[in-house]
Amino acid sequence: MIQRFDRRTVIVLALVIVTIVLGYHGRDLSKALDMRWIVKYPSAWVLPFKSVISEAMRWLIEDAAIGPVSFTDVTRAIAWAIEQPYNLILALLATGFVSGLGNEAQVILPAVSWIVVIAAVLALGHYCRDWGLALLAGACFLYLAVFGQWDSAMVTLASVLIAVPIGAGGGLLVGVWAYRHPTGEKILSPILDLMQTIPIFAYLVPILFMFGFGPISALVATIIYATPPMVRITTMALKAVDPEIVDFGRMAGTTERQLMWRVLIPSARQSLMVGVNQVIMLTLNMVIIASMIGAGGLGFDVLAALRRLDIGAGFEAGLAIVVLAIAVDRLSQAFAERMGRMPERTTGSFVARHKRTVLVGALLLMTWTVGQVIPLLQDYPATRTLTTGAFWDDTIKYLNVNYFDQFEAVKVFFLNWFMIPIKKVLLGMPWPWAIAMLVLLGWSAGGWRLALLCGGLAGLILVSGLWAKAMVTVYLCGASVVLATVIGVPLGVWAALNRRAGVAINLFIDTLQTLPSFVYLIPVVMLFRVGDFTALIAIVLYALAPAVRYAAHGVRNVSGELVEAGLVSGCTPLQLLRHIRLPLALPEILLGLNQTIMLALSMLVITALVGTRDLGQEVYIALTKADIGRGVVAGLAIAFIAILADRLIKAGAQQARIRFGLEN
Amino acid sequence: MFKRSTIGAFTISAAACLSPGLTMPVMAAESTDPIKLTLHDWSGQLINTKIMGSILQEAGYNVEYVQADYIAQFAGLKSGDLHLAMEIWETTGREALDEATATGKVVNVGETGLMAIEEWWYPSYMKDRCPGLPNWEALKDCAEEFATAETDPNGRYVGGPVTWGGFDEERVEALGLDFEVVHAGTDAALFAELESAYQREAPVMLWVYVPHWAPAKYEGEFVEFPPFSAECYSDPSVGVNPDMAYDCGKPRGPIWKAAWSGLQEKWPGAYDIIEAYKIDNAEMSAMVGEADLEGTDIDAVVATWMGANKDRWSAWIAK
Amino acid sequence: MSAKIKLACRNVWKLYGANAETLLKANPSPSADEIRNANTVGAVRAANIEIEEGEIFVIMGLSGSGKSTLVRCLSRLIEPTSGEVLFDGVDLLKADGKALIDIRRHKMGMVFQHFALLPHLTVLQNVMFPLTIQAAPEAEAEARAREVVELVGLKGREGNYPRQLSGGQQQRVGIARSLVTEPDLWFLDEPFSALDPLIRREMQDEFLRLQGRLHKTIVFITHDFEEAVRLADRIAIMKDGEVIQVATPEKLVMNPATDYVAEFTKHIPRSKVLSLAGLMTPGAVGEGAPLLHSAKVADVAERIIASDAPLSVQDDAGQIIGAVDRMAVAKVLFGEGSTP
Repeated sequence: MIQRFDRRTVIVLALVIVTIVLGYHGRDLSKALDMRWIVKYPSAWVLPFKSVISEAMRWLIEDAAIGPVSFTDVTRAIAWAIEQPYNLILALLATGFVSGLGNEAQVILPAVSWIVVIAAVLALGHYCRDWGLALLAGACFLYLAVFGQWDSAMVTLASVLIAVPIGAGGGLLVGVWAYRHPTGEKILSPILDLMQTIPIFAYLVPILFMFGFGPISALVATIIYATPPMVRITTMALKAVDPEIVDFGRMAGTTERQLMWRVLIPSARQSLMVGVNQVIMLTLNMVIIASMIGAGGLGFDVLAALRRLDIGAGFEAGLAIVVLAIAVDRLSQAFAERMGRMPERTTGSFVARHKRTVLVGALLLMTWTVGQVIPLLQDYPATRTLTTGAFWDDTIKYLNVNYFDQFEAVKVFFLNWFMIPIKKVLLGMPWPWAIAMLVLLGWSAGGWRLALLCGGLAGLILVSGLWAKAMVTVYLCGASVVLATVIGVPLGVWAALNRRAGVAINLFIDTLQTLPSFVYLIPVVMLFRVGDFTALIAIVLYALAPAVRYAAHGVRNVSGELVEAGLVSGCTPLQLLRHIRLPLALPEILLGLNQTIMLALSMLVITALVGTRDLGQEVYIALTKADIGRGVVAGLAIAFIAILADRLIKAGAQQARIRFGLEN
Repeated sequence: MFKRSTIGAFTISAAACLSPGLTMPVMAAESTDPIKLTLHDWSGQLINTKIMGSILQEAGYNVEYVQADYIAQFAGLKSGDLHLAMEIWETTGREALDEATATGKVVNVGETGLMAIEEWWYPSYMKDRCPGLPNWEALKDCAEEFATAETDPNGRYVGGPVTWGGFDEERVEALGLDFEVVHAGTDAALFAELESAYQREAPVMLWVYVPHWAPAKYEGEFVEFPPFSAECYSDPSVGVNPDMAYDCGKPRGPIWKAAWSGLQEKWPGAYDIIEAYKIDNAEMSAMVGEADLEGTDIDAVVATWMGANKDRWSAWIAK
Repeated sequence: MSAKIKLACRNVWKLYGANAETLLKANPSPSADEIRNANTVGAVRAANIEIEEGEIFVIMGLSGSGKSTLVRCLSRLIEPTSGEVLFDGVDLLKADGKALIDIRRHKMGMVFQHFALLPHLTVLQNVMFPLTIQAAPEAEAEARAREVVELVGLKGREGNYPRQLSGGQQQRVGIARSLVTEPDLWFLDEPFSALDPLIRREMQDEFLRLQGRLHKTIVFITHDFEEAVRLADRIAIMKDGEVIQVATPEKLVMNPATDYVAEFTKHIPRSKVLSLAGLMTPGAVGEGAPLLHSAKVADVAERIIASDAPLSVQDDAGQIIGAVDRMAVAKVLFGEGSTP
């Protein structure tokens, strides 16, 4: 046994060394052998996926039809259906009700006043839970008013109020369907993978054709991106419902529908809320990209501010997104909790039973009438807004002027000793060897099926002619993920072991995740210049969260008995961590790694904005050239890398779980 | 900064209140549907578009502003979801514009009067370190002044996003300059580099284009390369280097107006106004500076222009 | 047997595995080896049970013995691979979806080991739930629910949520909920296993009290032989998916069918299981006030030992049918296997 283990280690070690050496000298080797094709895949061998896809999309958009109803008619009808409630909410929150167009436009009713919105938020918070929540949510909205973000925030809120119910509700329905049809689930799973991993830029152009130009396309794109976790979580949560509860439902004589909606879904509601939370967070993540195609709102403010290099304004608009996310998230969680309980029967007159509604309604009437005379009641006065813009500008300037050399030294160190060697190995690696290693890895982690998948997806990337860019992608993401793990796991462990640190760390990573990466991308460019290192920092900042969260969760979940067993054996705290907590948290940490990779890949398109030369850039170029096929192929290549990483790590995590007897 | 005006695609009538007394009668028999103009994320384009929108409103048309990506907007122009784009730069948008007009669904409505200049640019303090500038030949001797740790001993030149093209690698080689070309991914990143260097008075050489607020905010100038000619790009024998093409500066070109091809039929009067509309670099630079550097609201900037140039735009309407 | 058979299962098999059905079709009663060789797992094998109306029928077995699977076959929560389940003489397995829902709504109730309460509903709403889904008139349903809540002793707790109750209280809710539709047939799947021993005892008493009032036909699952003996009219012992003996507690103790059964009975004090009918001298006549033939030895031992002469034993009708003396009782109390 020991001998076999040893031999295995030796083989693995040997392969790793050969791979590194081959990578490092791949280029020279290929020249020496006069076989350049082993490093640089010849363009003559590239299969024309791009033009096929472009052509197919053109056909779909221009010619596809069933009888007189063309495909675009259908998509336009969907767009129309989404547009109606959106326009209503937008009018209510931001633009007011207007009759007539252009010059003849008459404002019938102005948008709901900031005072009423804040009052409504307070009332909702109080209704859903208590004054604590009411004050938190109210403070968030007051922040928006005081810092002059109100109008944009309401536009963003309107799109969130449309996208989240559609995403969460649609995700729930699809998830229920997948739960009922196991075959459906199998078909759905790869589709969800693609929806989550293909960067949105890759399919933006066709969406614009299908759903028209403007906020509706932005909403559709947002929904496509934000729905998959809800589907997954729904199916998982339904499966996780205690089988006794299912038995009970059947024995009570429920029909299938009653069983689903009155037994299973209420029982799974806590997990389902995690899904809704995800939809909200992802929707707000999309705010920036959505604003590029007409969603407006805070995302547009961030973009426009950064175009003017007004870092402070960008930061404030970005923080407003964070604040909005916090308020919407907390309120929705409490609301669902409240809805889960059946209404208590209250007695009394209508007014007594609906105090809050009546109060908000009265305020609304008051602001709509008196507001005509006293503008303060209608709009928060612009002169009273605060700004911290200058503070952020000055901070960056101070850092830049005084510490640039130190930053530069750090950067040069990382580049020379970390990033450039990785890049050289990956880019110099002959692709036949790389694919062979990948297949071998897949085989050892998950058997021949995984090996086949590895070979197949890698082969597709190769023949689509994107090998070099895919390697840059792997290098950039790989380096970022290593760094994020090295930073994130200790943070997570610390958060798990120390309550106070946990609270602070949680707040920090929550902010990092909702703060649009664009906001810190530009200051990072100022301090570190355009280049791979800047991209690395941006990716690490964004992808840190799951590394921290999963590590904390894993360490916290180590069974108390095992920790006690360690304590009575006389472990020091450090030994406890090393021999008990960390090994047992490993499966969780691996899952966190998985998520870190996913987030890192999803940042690629953003880092393309600071000039990286990877698949993200390919997608971005395709977007700016409106080349549908090119964008989709590059997007799929990113998705393939994501799927490969996901499958390999999951197989690894499963092996770890089996080793620890947590699963068999 | 421009809060009320950025409210997506929903009907807004911000400029309708500018000068109510002057409203002209709606052109007879033309559609009252709103003409949809696209807004991007840089101030010059916003000003340009809103001036156009205001003039159309003065002429009695209904106008709607739609937030759209610079290149992605062509999808909307082709399908008729969008009607008018006010700034298609010769230098960055020509390819997409030609592709779109080739389909017959988009028409080029002519020049805006603005001329795009794009070239290598440096802050004035670099002149002390590299005397002889702005003549490009000075760069042959002081490339090292523009070096950073990564590029040393070569100078570092920050180019635009690869999608802008520009042939800077070729130019560096053809002119024998010891520079390394680094591409920024967006123009925000590009100017972040400038801001950073400018704060520290550190060396920097980068791609700047006008009309833009940067030349107003930072003191500096364009490098003077041998002037562009089409032959210089296509024929190696032309220019300073007899063996290579691209041995000259970048082309300068107009900024175009592009419209949905159905616009002329649906709003013929509006089409004529759009065609007549002209504005120049100096005015635009002043307005962009006003908006981006002074922090004046875009709508206010537009209103000022409308007030000061009533004769000009009235003439366009009257045509 | 004079009583009516309420529920019966005839040759019920439940095999898991891809080849389960083909195996049973080819061979209606495969052996354990044959099952294993076909890559299937036999959860229930050739089960034959008849449950009489009004009796407490306990299915007892250790974990993995197939008792939970069997009870789920009886209620058709699990589809048996083959066999018949006769409920009031009608094959339950032939009922279509609608008929099955109807039977469950009106004729069956079930209590679960971990209570299976809906977390988002209050006690009252949980109890009302089976009525609510039948769209019963709200006021009636509520009145009925309040009645059963009171019956299980939870009056005053109607507005609480399950998480605010102790385990014992939660199971009372479970019991109330299973009774709210007034079912004929009452399944209890290890209802007290998740409770503390003291509470368990209390709940068993409570259960007997309820049954004394309600006279349901009961299928009660347990892994606790003592509990089985205490509650059952008859017990079915299961091992490896097979029912190995069905008998009254007394007969089980006196005549265990296999060593396996004997292993359980060994630890049961006989005095608590045996009734006087089993050790009296039939036909003899004793002195004093007659004892009931069904009285457990442990309950009357003191009187018999205190008496010098044998005491009379009478049947339910009051007829003297025999006598019992102190020697017979002493054998049970102190003889072989009397104590654990």
